[in-house]
Amino acid sequence: MILGIETSCDETAAAVVREGREILSSVVASQIPIHSPYGGVVPELASREHLRNILPVVRAALEQAGVGYQDLAAIAVTQGPGLAGALLVGISFAKSLAFAIEKPLIAVNHLEGHIHAVLLEEARRQVNASDLLPEGRPPARPALLALVVSGGHTHLYLAEARQSEAGEPVWSYRNVGRTVDDAAGEAFDKVAKLLGLGYPGGPWIDALAPQGDPEAVPFTFAQIKAKAHRKGEPGALDPATATYFSYSGIKTAVLRYTHVHEMEASIETRRAALAGLPNPTPADALPLCDRRTLDLIASFQRSVVDDLRRKTFRAAEQFGVDRVLVSGGVAANRELRVRFTAEAAERNLVIAFPSLSLSTDNAAMIAAAAWPRLAAGDFASDGLTAEPSLVLGGAPR
Amino acid sequence: MRQTAQMRTHQFESHSGADTIAVGHRVAELLVPPKFLILRGDLGAGKTTLVKGIAEALEAADPDEVTSPTFTLVHEYEGTRAVDGRREPVMLYHLDLYRIQNERQLHSLGLEELSSPDSIVLVEWGEKFPSVVKRSQGEIEMRTTGGDSRSITLRLGDRG
Repeated sequence: MILGIETSCDETAAAVVREGREILSSVVASQIPIHSPYGGVVPELASREHLRNILPVVRAALEQAGVGYQDLAAIAVTQGPGLAGALLVGISFAKSLAFAIEKPLIAVNHLEGHIHAVLLEEARRQVNASDLLPEGRPPARPALLALVVSGGHTHLYLAEARQSEAGEPVWSYRNVGRTVDDAAGEAFDKVAKLLGLGYPGGPWIDALAPQGDPEAVPFTFAQIKAKAHRKGEPGALDPATATYFSYSGIKTAVLRYTHVHEMEASIETRRAALAGLPNPTPADALPLCDRRTLDLIASFQRSVVDDLRRKTFRAAEQFGVDRVLVSGGVAANRELRVRFTAEAAERNLVIAFPSLSLSTDNAAMIAAAAWPRLAAGDFASDGLTAEPSLVLGGAPR
Repeated sequence: MRQTAQMRTHQFESHSGADTIAVGHRVAELLVPPKFLILRGDLGAGKTTLVKGIAEALEAADPDEVTSPTFTLVHEYEGTRAVDGRREPVMLYHLDLYRIQNERQLHSLGLEELSSPDSIVLVEWGEKFPSVVKRSQGEIEMRTTGGDSRSITLRLGDRG
């Protein structure tokens, strides 16, 4: 079994996963009351917070799994992308621990982790890859298309597993899409904020959207022209086949809509009313939203979800894949799940999402992604360091 | 940053995203490292778009490679700038303190470590923090002047 450690951004997390599929424990700092003065509500942006959390979180993960350090086969840690100081806390801790208990260290890309959040659950259900194919159809190709969509990322990857000589899967990734400005989750956060709702914005918008008319406000997305990139850039996309997302414009469009319809006063009233509650929820916000606001929320969510859906399935068709998976915090969005599932059924494709607890940042996905590397003996060097701009599917490491 | 008589002001107008990128090119020429500037403007004012232009001018990134740092807090780009017919290395840092709530969180980000002699640091929402304002050598202010139009003002202090 592998101990996974993740500190790339807001969350300090540790998990113990057996054979890449069985989660023995998965601990996220914000979910346990270890920093009582703040009650876990302050996001752990700061490396200092990670530093304070890391040991209790790792101990809790081992305790909950009922294992000791010597039961571990390896330690896995997120190398990037993320915030340098935050990553460094996890990496330094993992390196020292691996050295002290004489176990190998495996470096994992955070985005690869998100993909494995889904694969690990498929493996846990003991499904063979072939069972995941629509009935009676041979796989067009053994690849799958992964949409990783969160507050910090909006990426499309082609992920492909080849069998190693030892019979273990060896995964490779190709980046085939990304945002040119804001991540989709960031648009949810910022629109929620400018409408006087809570943070993170996704769950608020998701909860309120069914109360509005998703076709009330038409939003349009500009066509993004692919530009030729400098050759040899790590992570450069092939402009001929790349998918580009853009969610900065819709944020501005929502802002403009609130100005044109003079919604400022009602937004301020809502913001103040929610700020006066100890633990405000979307249910508290509902009576504070008029029809126009609910329609705006519903239309915004529909537009973003549909843009993600259209582009993702267009890419699936372009690359001839049979399987699509969606991971990251925005994968928890209910309308996204419903509309992606419907389109997949229509196109006779298999679609998979992680369970809600594995959608957001966690360490189980890091331990799961590391499992095939353990078999392959793909270990980190002593010089492992944080890579804040690490790309997935770029130049081989 | 104090408003002093020595403050140099450069004023630009933009009527589109493409204009804002072009303004970024002109702003980049006026920024001699080291620079630590606040980049202010409301949500949707075009702050990231302006940085796209600055990064392109510094040969640090293509415009569509410059994305919002709101979630990740810091993006860094390695570029070059023309000095006496040669190109000198420059580090462009694009920060966003939108998610930072207090000086305590800010302190642990280690802003002081970004001040190498060849750095240009642009800090969104830096005006929220007195320590950042005190440290800054000027600001770039973006205002919406109706529709897609923006007025962009670069103010450089005497230390700049």
